[in-house]
Amino acid sequence: MANNYNLITVSSPHFHNGSSGRRIMLDVIIALIPAAIAAVVIFGMKSLALMATCIIAAIAAESLFDVIVKKKNTVGDLSAIVTGLLLALNLGTEVALWEAAVGSVFAIVFVKCIFGGLGKNFANPAITGRVFMIIAFGSVTSFVNPKCVELVSSATPLANLAQGAMDQLPTVGQMLLGLHGGTIGETCIIALVLGWVYLSVRKVIKWYVPAAFIATVFVLFLVFTGSPVVAFYEILSGGLFLGAIFMATDYVSTPITVKGKVVFCICCGIITFIIRKFCALPEGVSFSILIMNILTPWVEKLTHNVPLDRRGK
Amino acid sequence: MLFSKKISAVHVPHCKSTQDKHSVRIAPPESVTIPMSMHSGAPAVPVVAVGDHVYIGQLIAKEGEGRVSSPIHASISGTVSAVGEKSISIKSDGKMEIDPQMKAPKLETLDDFLDGCRKSGIVGLGGAAYPLHGKWEAVRKNKIETVLINGAECEPYCTADNRTMVEDYDHIKQGIEILKRFVGAKEYVIGIEANKPEAIKLLTDLFKDDSSVIVKSLESVYPQGAKQVLLWNATGKVVAAGQRLASLGVIITNVTTLAKMALYFETGMPLVDKCVSVDGSAIKEPKNIIAPIGTSYGYCIEQCGGFSCEPGRVIEGGPMMGRTIASLDEPVIKATNGLVAMSQADSVILEPTACLHCGKCVEACPLDLNPVAYSDALDIDDEDKRELILKKEDVPQCMECGCCAYVCPAHRPLVANNRAAKKFLRGRRK
Repeated sequence: MANNYNLITVSSPHFHNGSSGRRIMLDVIIALIPAAIAAVVIFGMKSLALMATCIIAAIAAESLFDVIVKKKNTVGDLSAIVTGLLLALNLGTEVALWEAAVGSVFAIVFVKCIFGGLGKNFANPAITGRVFMIIAFGSVTSFVNPKCVELVSSATPLANLAQGAMDQLPTVGQMLLGLHGGTIGETCIIALVLGWVYLSVRKVIKWYVPAAFIATVFVLFLVFTGSPVVAFYEILSGGLFLGAIFMATDYVSTPITVKGKVVFCICCGIITFIIRKFCALPEGVSFSILIMNILTPWVEKLTHNVPLDRRGK
Repeated sequence: MLFSKKISAVHVPHCKSTQDKHSVRIAPPESVTIPMSMHSGAPAVPVVAVGDHVYIGQLIAKEGEGRVSSPIHASISGTVSAVGEKSISIKSDGKMEIDPQMKAPKLETLDDFLDGCRKSGIVGLGGAAYPLHGKWEAVRKNKIETVLINGAECEPYCTADNRTMVEDYDHIKQGIEILKRFVGAKEYVIGIEANKPEAIKLLTDLFKDDSSVIVKSLESVYPQGAKQVLLWNATGKVVAAGQRLASLGVIITNVTTLAKMALYFETGMPLVDKCVSVDGSAIKEPKNIIAPIGTSYGYCIEQCGGFSCEPGRVIEGGPMMGRTIASLDEPVIKATNGLVAMSQADSVILEPTACLHCGKCVEACPLDLNPVAYSDALDIDDEDKRELILKKEDVPQCMECGCCAYVCPAHRPLVANNRAAKKFLRGRRK
C-alpha cells in the first residue's frame, strides 16, 4: 500500500463532544436575552444605552489591555460581552452612562485582566464591578419605578419588606413580570427563569445550583419570619434570581465540584439572608457572592472529591 | 451507603456500524512482522533463525525473563526472513499450513490449566495485554467468588468482542466450563452493554439452564468496560489502590480472551490471529476482519477497500483510548481490537484555550479524580511540591479513559498531561 500519508500522531482521546468555552459564553448571552429584552420593555431605552455602554466599554478595555501587555486579543472568547451585559443588568436607570462605563472597565481590567485573564480571576468581574460602583457612585443604589406602572410606593419591594410595609408591596403578578423598581435586569423573574431553563437544558449549569441559593433564602426567611408570603416576596425581590442563576454559577470563581457549587450557593443564601435581615443594606446578593468568591478555595478544600479507590475502607 | 453514588460516565457516539457484520478472514498477507513485546512484562525471546520454516501455531519466541512474559507463535506458515530483539518477520509460503504436531493440551489439574494458559501465548485482549497465566495464577492464593466476563466493549467503532459473543459463543461456554473446573467460582457474570442486544439474547438463551452464569445487560455508557467501572456496576465492589482484584474474590476476563483460551484447550491453537474492527470515516468498506498477528495495518485497510479519502489519524484501538500509528507498516498485535481511520476533516487538532474551571472534567471522571489539578501541577516549577500534589491527587490511578479530555470545553490535552504526570512520578521514584 502506498505509504506516503501524513498521519497525525497525537494523544488519545480522538473524540471530543464539540463543546467550547466560546459556545458556553454564547449560551450565557443567549440565556440573558429574555432579561435584556424585559429590561428595555420595562425600563425603556435607558436600559439599552446602559447595556451598550457596558459591553462596548468591556470590549474596548480588554482589547486595549491585550495590546498593552502584548497578548493575543481575547475578546473572541465572548467573556467580556458576558461581563458587560451582566454588569448593565445589575444597574438601575439612575446610573449615568459614564459611571456604567467606568464600572465596566474596572470589572474587566482590575478583576479579570490583571489576574491573567479569563479563568484566572478570583471573583466574578460583574459582581465586583457592581460592588465597586455601589461604593463609588450613589446612583447605583437609588432606584425609580418603571414609568409603565403605577405603584403605591416608590421604594423597591426589598425596602418595603425591610420597613414591614406589606400593604405597599406590588402584586405577585407585578413581581413576576418585573413591574417594580430595581436594577434593569433583576426584576423580571419570568425572563430570568427562561434563562435558567435554557442554561440547564444546555448543561451549562445544573438547575439545582441556583435553586440551592434561592431555596436557602426562602427557608431562612420562612423560619425567621414565619410568613410564607414574606419569604416568597423576599426571593422574588432584589437581585436574587439574577445573581443565583447567572453569577453564583460562574465557573471561574466558584468551586469545581458540583458538591462544592451547591455548598457555595447555600452559603450565599445564608449571607444574603443575614445582610437583608440584620444589616443596614437592603440587598445582599452581590456581597454574598463576592464574599463566597473569596472563600471558594476553602469550600473547594472541604468539598474535594474522594477518588474512588480511596473510598470504602 | 458509601458507594451510593453512580459512577460517572460520558455518552460518546457508538459508531458501531460493523456490529452486525460477520467477521471475515482476510487473504493471507505476503509477510508478517511480529513484535516481541505485545504484552505487559518482559519481551519474548526469539527461538527461530532466519531461513527456518514455520507453521501456524509454532513457537517462535519463548517467554522472556521477568515477573511475567508471554510466548509468541507463528501466525502464518512460511520462512523466517528476519529475527531481531524487537521483532520476527515471516515470509508467507501462501499455504497457511497449521502445525501438524499441534494437539490439544492435557487438562486435568490446576497445574495443567495454568501451564496451558502460559503456553497459549494469550494475553488480556481487552487492552491491558496482561499475560493470561499471570491473571489466573491468583486462584492459587485467593478464593475466587466471582468471575466477571467483560463483554461491555464500550470503545466506539470496536465490535470485535461483540462478534466473538455472536459467532463464537460455543467457546465462551467451553471457557466457562473450564473455569468451573479449575477456578470454582460461585458465579460467572457476563457483562454486556445494552447496545448489543443480539449478543445478550444469544448468551442469555445459551445459559438459561445454568444458574451460576448471569448475563448482565449494562448501560451503554463510556467507559463501562473499564475494570473499576465494570466491577462496581456488576458487583458493587471497589478495588483500592495497590490492592489486587483477586483479593476481593473477583477476576475479570475479556470475552474474547476467554474464547481464545477455550480454543487453545480444545485444539492446541495458540493466539495467532485477532478479529479487528476496521472502521472510521476514511475507510471505504468497514468490516470485521480476522487478521494474523503481525499483518501490517496498511494491508488490513487494503482488505477493507482502502481509504475512501485522505486519512488524518489512524488509530490502533478505539478513538477514546487508542494510539495513533505513525506508519501503516505497523503490525496487528495481540491486543488489537479496532483499527480506526479518521478523515482529515475529523482529525483536526482542537486548539487549547484557557481553563474555565468549569469542573466538567472532574464531573466526568469515572474514578472521581481531579484532572485539572494534574495539569495545573505540571506547571509548578518546584518538583517536590509537584510530586506532593500529584500523589495527593492520586494521578497514578488514572486509567487514561479520556472522559475528561472528551468533555473539556477548553480542549486541554488532559490525558496527555495525566500521562506526563504519571511519567514524572515514575521518574521521581528512581
